[in-house]
Amino acid sequence: MASIGIIANPASGKDIRRLVSHATVIDNNEKINIVERIVLGAQALGVKKVFVMPDSYNMGYRVEDKLKSCNELKCEINIVNMLRFDGMEDTVKAADYMEKNNEIRCIITLGGDGTNRAAARSIKNTPLITISTGTNNVYPTMLEGTVAGMAAAAVASGRFDDSKFVTKDKRIEIYRDDELIDIALIDAVISKDVFIGSKAIWNTDTIEKIIVTRSHPASIGFSSLVGCKKIIYPEDDFGAYLDVNSGSEKIKAPIAAGVVESISVTEPVILGLDDEYEFTAKDRGTIALDGEREVEFSKDQKLVFKIRREGPFHVDVIKVLETAQENNFFII
Amino acid sequence: MMGGSILKITNEQLKEMYLTMLKIRKFELSASDLFAQGKIPGFVHLYIGEEAVATGACANLREDDYITSTHRGHGHIIAKGGELKYMMAELFGREDGYCKGKGGSMHIADASRGILGANGIVGAGHNIAVGSGLAIQHKKTDQVCVCFFGDASTNQSTFHEALNLASIWKLPVIFVCENNGYGISVSQKRHQAITDVSVRASAYNIPGITIDGNDLFAVYEAVGEAVARARKGQGPTLIECKTYRWRGHFEGDPVVYRPDGELEAWIKRDPIPKVEKYFTDSGVMTEEEIKKLNDDVDKMVKEAIEFAEKSPFPSLESALKDVYSDIVEEGRVR
Repeated sequence: MASIGIIANPASGKDIRRLVSHATVIDNNEKINIVERIVLGAQALGVKKVFVMPDSYNMGYRVEDKLKSCNELKCEINIVNMLRFDGMEDTVKAADYMEKNNEIRCIITLGGDGTNRAAARSIKNTPLITISTGTNNVYPTMLEGTVAGMAAAAVASGRFDDSKFVTKDKRIEIYRDDELIDIALIDAVISKDVFIGSKAIWNTDTIEKIIVTRSHPASIGFSSLVGCKKIIYPEDDFGAYLDVNSGSEKIKAPIAAGVVESISVTEPVILGLDDEYEFTAKDRGTIALDGEREVEFSKDQKLVFKIRREGPFHVDVIKVLETAQENNFFII
Repeated sequence: MMGGSILKITNEQLKEMYLTMLKIRKFELSASDLFAQGKIPGFVHLYIGEEAVATGACANLREDDYITSTHRGHGHIIAKGGELKYMMAELFGREDGYCKGKGGSMHIADASRGILGANGIVGAGHNIAVGSGLAIQHKKTDQVCVCFFGDASTNQSTFHEALNLASIWKLPVIFVCENNGYGISVSQKRHQAITDVSVRASAYNIPGITIDGNDLFAVYEAVGEAVARARKGQGPTLIECKTYRWRGHFEGDPVVYRPDGELEAWIKRDPIPKVEKYFTDSGVMTEEEIKKLNDDVDKMVKEAIEFAEKSPFPSLESALKDVYSDIVEEGRVR
């Protein structure tokens, strides 16, 4: 049985959206509880080794201590040996380590869209299970840790045909002067805000344009502005973009937890896979990627957006467990 | 939407904030030198490295708003408009100081600017802030109070009492935690079973967020939202600013408790060059203009030191003056 990796972002679920919307706080002790249940679920189905990203709260060590103290730890917990920066780069580096470690056959993330975007910068081939502990959670879903651990064990066992439960996701690639500068898994929002500041984006007045890989009215965040006009599924071979604060039609969309905003938008324009959308800045501004301002641009700068199917291999937990059941994986 | 467009800062406001950060940095560097020379009595606790917190927070305040401060209070007082010369005179223990030379570094106050005082007692500012919030509520004005405090003070009962009352009474208080990683010499890992102080807000049903305290814009934006919320009567907020003090707990602290490389890593995150980079990248200020402003602040601090040095020590006869309030003194006479 191969090993699994766990990336639990200690910073997720605590940003300014607790102040400007009705988003929930998920503290690190709750993340520890989830990681604990992942480990228990995974080891019960044969996982022998679990690699965990190091973090400022020592979540991996705490889980190890707790499970050892109640004599329930049957697998080995390895904290990834890496220099920690207590920022997004930790997720990128840990994911890179896990991607390159051939022992690790499945990675589980705990965080929001931003956490998964960071992981996706490194993950190319290792299947990814995503548990929501963030704010805007389009990419990850609410999932019981035990079930996630069981699913990871099934994936890591290598006994099943991955194509039955794994989808290669789309991503938005952002290029400046032909150089790939960043990616987003769900949406890229072009804003007139000139500072990155507290990162999260919530003020609709400053938004100019949205580019999405997928969209649905049930998605919390700015991709819902497209979703309330047109639904785009992860498996569709296209994305879309539209202008915000423009156009004659007003829609209502859930742009943040508890915030359903009325806003005028234009008709979504379909952007096929590998097609380019070129944006020339009229003034300084920022681009929010999966809900967080990350890229600053200056006046007259040209940026190119492309939607490509180069995102992570995303695991459908229900389908993997169904496949496991059909193949007698649970029978002792 | 609950939030507003806080990040509409004019270039002039930005320059003003940068000036404030420079004043704090250069005042503190001078205080360090003067303390080493034996010119400043007592203790001083310096704010070097944390300038973005006080500056970004106070830039959202009006003159009639209040702040409460800590033993590491110089930055808060400068950011709320305190004058360098009176502050320096107070550090020197001179008659022209803010407390007529009797308070020193840890007790500077200026009620006319809403500065309710630095405070030598850890955790003592929380309840003063709640008191001012209650007064504002009774007066029915839209003032607010920003309460500055450190991570270790959130282990004090006063923190919990203050958040409880502020929450239940919906007081216009913004609790700004400067999490610099240490309570005196004890790292946060060894004094709290949490890494993010902001999670303590959920126990009192108020918003709690964690931000980069070395990012001026992040602090300005977050506190701006909290201030707007408080002015509208929507109650308190807890904002945790992750930051770092470059100096020891106090001047003279041998700082044997930091791991190797920690300080150097935080110096790389110095909040001041980040703002300077924004200025030069965006054309708000040239490098020459930045240098001129630095020279101007050097001059301001030099003048403050000269003012302090020329100021007399308080007279022996004044030793008991201003120690008790008039009400108490009147009572004694009766």
